Amino acid sequence: MQHEALAHTEDFGGPDHHLPSHPCIPGKDVPYQHYALGRAYDEMFTREGQVHPHYGSLDGRLTTLPPDELLRRQQACEQTFLHQGITFTVYSDNQATERIIPTDLLPRIVTAREWARVEAGLKQRIAALNMFLRDIYGDARVLRDGIVPRSMIYGSKHYRREMRGLAVPHGAYVNVCGSDLIRDETGDFVVLEDNLRVPSGVSYMLANREVVRRAFPAVFRSMGVRAIEHYPNELLNTLRSLAPFHEDVSIAVLTPGVFNSAYFEHAFLARQMGVELVEGRDLLVNDNVVYTRTTSGLKRIDVIYRRIDDDFIDPLIFRDDSALGVPGLFNAYRAGNVTLANALGTGVADDKAIYAYVPRLIRYYLSEEPILGSVETFLCREVSSLSHVLANLDKLVVKAVGESGGYGMLVGPHASQKERDDFAQKIKADPDNYIAQPTIQLSTAPTFVDGGVEARHVDLRPFILHGEQTTIVPGALTRVALKRGSLVVNSSQGGGSKDTWVLSE
Amino acid sequence: MLSRVADSLYWMARYLERGEHTARLVAVKLESMVEQTREDADASWHRVVEAVSAGESAPKAHDAYIITQTLAFNRVNPSSLVSSLRFARDNARQVREHLSTEVWEHLNKLYLRLLPVTTDAVWSHSPERIFREALEDFHTLQGVVLSTLTHNEGYHFLQLGRYIERAQLISRLLDLHFRSQPGKPTPKYFDWLVLLKFCCAFEPYSRAYTASIRPERIAQFLIFDPEFPHSVRFAVDRVVDSLSRVAPAAPPARRATVERLAGKLKAAVDFGQVEDLMSGAIVPFLADITHQCEQIHEAVHVSYISYGAETVL
Repeated sequence: MQHEALAHTEDFGGPDHHLPSHPCIPGKDVPYQHYALGRAYDEMFTREGQVHPHYGSLDGRLTTLPPDELLRRQQACEQTFLHQGITFTVYSDNQATERIIPTDLLPRIVTAREWARVEAGLKQRIAALNMFLRDIYGDARVLRDGIVPRSMIYGSKHYRREMRGLAVPHGAYVNVCGSDLIRDETGDFVVLEDNLRVPSGVSYMLANREVVRRAFPAVFRSMGVRAIEHYPNELLNTLRSLAPFHEDVSIAVLTPGVFNSAYFEHAFLARQMGVELVEGRDLLVNDNVVYTRTTSGLKRIDVIYRRIDDDFIDPLIFRDDSALGVPGLFNAYRAGNVTLANALGTGVADDKAIYAYVPRLIRYYLSEEPILGSVETFLCREVSSLSHVLANLDKLVVKAVGESGGYGMLVGPHASQKERDDFAQKIKADPDNYIAQPTIQLSTAPTFVDGGVEARHVDLRPFILHGEQTTIVPGALTRVALKRGSLVVNSSQGGGSKDTWVLSE
Repeated sequence: MLSRVADSLYWMARYLERGEHTARLVAVKLESMVEQTREDADASWHRVVEAVSAGESAPKAHDAYIITQTLAFNRVNPSSLVSSLRFARDNARQVREHLSTEVWEHLNKLYLRLLPVTTDAVWSHSPERIFREALEDFHTLQGVVLSTLTHNEGYHFLQLGRYIERAQLISRLLDLHFRSQPGKPTPKYFDWLVLLKFCCAFEPYSRAYTASIRPERIAQFLIFDPEFPHSVRFAVDRVVDSLSRVAPAAPPARRATVERLAGKLKAAVDFGQVEDLMSGAIVPFLADITHQCEQIHEAVHVSYISYGAETVL
């Protein structure tokens, strides 16, 4: 903790609004002299360069602080991260170097009204997705009714035949979901992607809050920012509600180990919840019951928050070369003696083709209209879409269905004619495997860059907990593309993160 | 406590003890080599190499530079100082949640400071200095362990690893000095003095016996002294004490082997006397101590760390 480092920057209350006599104009006045407003929706400024009311306090602070003060606060944030070990590991030359994830000093602010819609939309979405999973691993009504083509399910590499007919507690398959939302050019939040397998990033949401709140204490206090610190407790309650038995529930976080890039998060969550952090080799199964091996003897485990992919969870059932998993774990799961969170086989519902069907699934299961929009998606398996995609490759982003992390992808506007022609051949050869979407300008938010405040593209990843009840902590991980003009927010490709302030108003 | 966590703490402490021992041997040897004849210095270096090397990795040359390079800074040699530190740090990293921030940071800094050092860089003047500095850091780290960790089961696994390693290292060092080695010069006055320094024992020994250096008194002091921290008996006492505090809820049946072995080892050093060892019995005695330490290591592993489900259900 670096309380001392920040002590001299504490602005103990007092007026935040000693605004300069005239407003500072983006693209012109310090500190916004390099702030470029473009086609994208901007979180802070209107198209005319007026500050949105909910950014007023922050604007007041930014325009009155001495120029090097922001830099000092940014450095204090980075120090805190380094000292607390909030780092990821880069391996090269047989040595491990630990680096911090870039965190931006400036919070991204979401109004109460916007949040209410996001929250309601996500709750609706996770309800439908869970009903969908329960259905396809049960009666498969949705397939019989022709809502979703059979081949899309049974052909998916994330479909787990082993899950057929297995009842999970409360019918809750996805217990922790991290959905990626973006704003379209009109400022509406739309869902870009659901992460239903083992989403990560929540530790950064919590760590960012710790440091950014201390960088802007007065602004933070004056704005009525909603608390997120109870996330670990909510996660614990969710996991507890999934226990097969309800007395003296024993919970563990299962990590692939210290070499995993998200290890910090696994250890952090285990510590915050006060439960054991285990690796596959700490667990053993006897008579379909799962135990941890402790020095004093075996201790039964009832719920496992697993941060290992399906494929690696049990070498007897899935990949037999997995050294991360636990032999026999799946049979214990089938026998109902242990709960895995998330359930296995949830990946079938977050692939890029199913994404296009989610609005239909919401209507089918809930008889409601979707609250949150989606990005327009063309399924190349549909003949009319295929011809549209092939005719408009220069305007579209084409993605392979089963891939993630930017693999098997064509960004039409940035590709050469030859690349587009080659990709067109691939699409024609296997249209089922491809979807296409228009290129979307993610919204921009003020970001501290090179001593000034500039516009950078951001997304929003809230975390949804779903057990006996559905809970969304009012906050999110905002990922930011730190390179000017870049739309790629992934931390592996120059992305950073921001604290997200949801206002209570 | 998770068995894996206990195991990592145990090994972290063993590697730290081994690293500290290596640093001290090299430091003392570098400081003392100028006062010996070539032949005696070679024999003495040879004992250092034997004391801290595992088989193949031992340097073949007698050259002090090469030996220092191999024992201290060679990253490929698994028993070098930097390798010991790396293994200690790797183990610590896996159980960071069970260590204090202070312990982790001290260990991490010590490792990061020694990692880039080359023999070339330190050889031209006072090469022993880097080892003395490392020793200071090792001693500080032990203090930080003592004062910032909760003295719970994990702490006792650290103590167990540290003192099992120490009992074995001291036994091996004594063996190398008391065993007659054909074709090599027998240890002289100066070598016995160096042996005491290898064990930070010169001053405590002198207070107990004056500076009159006699092998049987050295054996008495380094094997049987109950109060000197680098004696075998002291280390064994700590081992026995730690064993009584780990795995507190394990049923008596599973504790039985460990406790029997601990009692047997304790009896050997509590009731042994140096008079019985001086007629050539010291070498088998030391071998027996080492063997018993290995048995305890095995028994701890089987009883608390790697036991199968079938043995407890």
